[in-house]
Amino acid sequence: MSRVGGLVPGNRWQWASLLVFVLVVLAVPFWTDDYWTRIFTGVAMWSALAMSWNVMGGYAGYISFGQAAFFGIGAYTTALLMQKGQDWNFFATLPVGAVLAGILAVIVGWPVLKLRGAYFAIATWAMAEAFLQIATAAGFTGGSSGLTLPINASTSFFYYAMLIPAIVTFAVCWLLLERSRFGYRVKAVRDHEPAAESIGIDTTRVKIQAFAFSAVIPGVFGGIYAYWITFINPTSVLADDITDQMVVMALVGGLGRIWGPVLGATLLYLVNRQFIASFGDTTAYIAAVGAIVALIVLFLPDGLVSLFSRGRRMALSRQLLVRLLPGRNGTTGRGGRL
Amino acid sequence: MTVLEVSDLRRSFGGIHAVQGVSFSLDEQEILGIIGPNGSGKSTLFNLLTGLVRPGSGEVRLHGRDITGWKPHRIARAGMGRTFQIPALFVNMTVQENLFAAVVEGDWKSARQRTGQVLDLMTLGDLRNELASTLSGGQQRLLEFARVLMRDPQVILLDEVTAGVHPTLRQVILDAITRLRSEGRSFLVIEHDMELVRAVCERVIVMDAGQVVAQGSFDEIAADKSVVEAYLGVPAK
Amino acid sequence: MTLFIQTMVNGLLVGGLFVTISIGFSLAFGVLDVVDFAVGEWVMLGAFAGVASTAWFGIDPIAFLPVVFVFFALLGWLLSPLIYRVRTSHYARPALMALAFTFGIATLARGSMLTAVGFDPRTVDIGVMNGTVTIGSLHIPALRLLGFVFAAVATALFMLFLYRTRTGLAARAVAQDKEYAGLMGVNVKRVSSLVYALYAGLTAMAGVLIGAIYSITAQDGPLYTLLAFFVVVLGGLGSIGGALVAGLLLGILQALVTVYVSADYTLAVVFGVLFLVLVISPRGLLRRGLA
Repeated sequence: MSRVGGLVPGNRWQWASLLVFVLVVLAVPFWTDDYWTRIFTGVAMWSALAMSWNVMGGYAGYISFGQAAFFGIGAYTTALLMQKGQDWNFFATLPVGAVLAGILAVIVGWPVLKLRGAYFAIATWAMAEAFLQIATAAGFTGGSSGLTLPINASTSFFYYAMLIPAIVTFAVCWLLLERSRFGYRVKAVRDHEPAAESIGIDTTRVKIQAFAFSAVIPGVFGGIYAYWITFINPTSVLADDITDQMVVMALVGGLGRIWGPVLGATLLYLVNRQFIASFGDTTAYIAAVGAIVALIVLFLPDGLVSLFSRGRRMALSRQLLVRLLPGRNGTTGRGGRL
Repeated sequence: MTVLEVSDLRRSFGGIHAVQGVSFSLDEQEILGIIGPNGSGKSTLFNLLTGLVRPGSGEVRLHGRDITGWKPHRIARAGMGRTFQIPALFVNMTVQENLFAAVVEGDWKSARQRTGQVLDLMTLGDLRNELASTLSGGQQRLLEFARVLMRDPQVILLDEVTAGVHPTLRQVILDAITRLRSEGRSFLVIEHDMELVRAVCERVIVMDAGQVVAQGSFDEIAADKSVVEAYLGVPAK
Repeated sequence: MTLFIQTMVNGLLVGGLFVTISIGFSLAFGVLDVVDFAVGEWVMLGAFAGVASTAWFGIDPIAFLPVVFVFFALLGWLLSPLIYRVRTSHYARPALMALAFTFGIATLARGSMLTAVGFDPRTVDIGVMNGTVTIGSLHIPALRLLGFVFAAVATALFMLFLYRTRTGLAARAVAQDKEYAGLMGVNVKRVSSLVYALYAGLTAMAGVLIGAIYSITAQDGPLYTLLAFFVVVLGGLGSIGGALVAGLLLGILQALVTVYVSADYTLAVVFGVLFLVLVISPRGLLRRGLA
């Protein structure tokens, strides 16, 4: 329908290559070794996580720094339910974590989403930090020592356990955001909230719905992740870095576009793994991420995805030229409330 | 028949009394002009009527219903539409998508058909797949007006809708207003262009410093000393 | 009872530093219209500069303060035009992008410091001040007293600048209404850079003292950013008087929680209060801020 929507295959060749791509992706454990299967598992997970952030940040225009809290809720829910004594089935734990995350989103979102975007960012961040602290201090979460889950050594099991939900997430996001009324509502809120209200859109409700949706996704993947890495503690599932990663991946890939987060996640996850391989830890990676974000904002605000569309490439070169020329002084161009 | 009734509307921001006791009524098929110097409270009045700002006190009735204090989206769904002083388009959407978005809380099934009609009326048909951000200033105002039309509101508030618009496009807007009026709609129009006000508005309200200083036909208020004072800030001779 | 008063006083004294940070932060927001996610990093970097002053240069951190101020003010001066440009861009979602930009800078600072100095905590060594001052039955750490004195002086000077100089007037005008200020001939971009530079320098100096009272790690930036947010939200975004009251309140709150509950729960309490304030009174406790 619209050229602004996701990249939908237009002709036979594109459909064919998409099909091949899907087949290749589905067969990963069969044509590569355990190491790379694990890498792709990570890519699948982060693609979905970045997508979840993108729902709020890219489509609704509200930056959330609290995604880690939802991820952590999912992780701890699955971990606790799979402890000896509870022995839940892994798959049954996932909806529980998802629902809990969604509920938290509604509780926190309802008062905070009525305010400016900056408050939302601050409040969600504070929420995530609070959860981190509580999980570290509280007893039932195992405190800073964490929790151990039943072991499952199958790499391919986890690959599909991450991949299928990731594909489903992608499909649902695409349908909801690019092919439904909800997508219009959310984008209207992002582009001009007062105008959205003036055409009858209940912006607060739309924002809460988007936030709840963006919380449910990490709620699910947190649970899968916990089972995958077998051992979790507050730092591994509730730290800032988790949210930061999602933010960067979505930004680099392209906000408000359906393929953006996937691209960003793939690229940055591989870079991340490379840093670990080369330096042993991720401190340098963090610095690199910060620099990348700053540069993207300055020179490629629509992300990598924008390089794939000729119209945008031209608009981009135009903008770059304008930017590099001496700026005009004193222009306010408020450009929307923060 | 009165479609909109405003009684003693007041709103202050800190020490600034933006709107002080404004009262007027709007009849069916009437085009009411609102004029006054900058800062006289006209846009604030619009924000109060459309629910973007809560009134400190006073009452607003739409088709007899008390809508004072209603949320903006509720008022919009009750049949009031508005444009903004600075065009409030969805800049990351195309022209067509802007119009689709307008009926997302309404008659979605007929969106496509309605969009075609409105685009034709506003002569924007060729631009339907262009991003709203690439439109010229005048085209943006047309698009905003078009978006308002999509919901088929009974009462339409226009905030300087022809400001900076090329004469040809201006005519499109004026023609649309007259045609819509004859179909039963009512307009509240903030304007600085006196020619337009004289040509189109049956009645005019003059605001200054948050208050209504004069009401009447254009000729009546043009002759009114307090109006001249309001604009020039000096006593009229 | 003495413990209670002691705690209150300790908290109040540290609160002074929070005030200094938050006032600059609040004004920077008013002028640039951007919530600077890097505020905590300025604190962290300042603290490490304080560590470096003894470790590398053998200079007393107090004597080093002016150097810290100038260095970080300069950094802020260089950074501000970029923030300004992003914020006033007519291109893509300027408000969101500006937030992302400061977030990127903050992450860059944090990552760089982590790579450079690792995770270990360090303390700023103001040797001469390691004692306690006794007033009545209260034992006040000299460091906290020093911190408070510094904060009081710095804040007073800053207020003087704002209310008694022409540039300060211009800054306040820009914070109130950029468009009109610009129309009246104020160089909005230049004023923004100046304000941001002052704020960065001030915050870094406060960081030196915070690094002396508490220890500092390269990861502490986000903590102080959160605390600065807390103050500003409690006091009302954009309100200087509010930042004053809220800064002191935060100091007290944090001291009370550490002593009577547990240091582990300070953030949880801070968030709880923050959340409550946002729900009940989004324009701050004094209702002076912008909603």
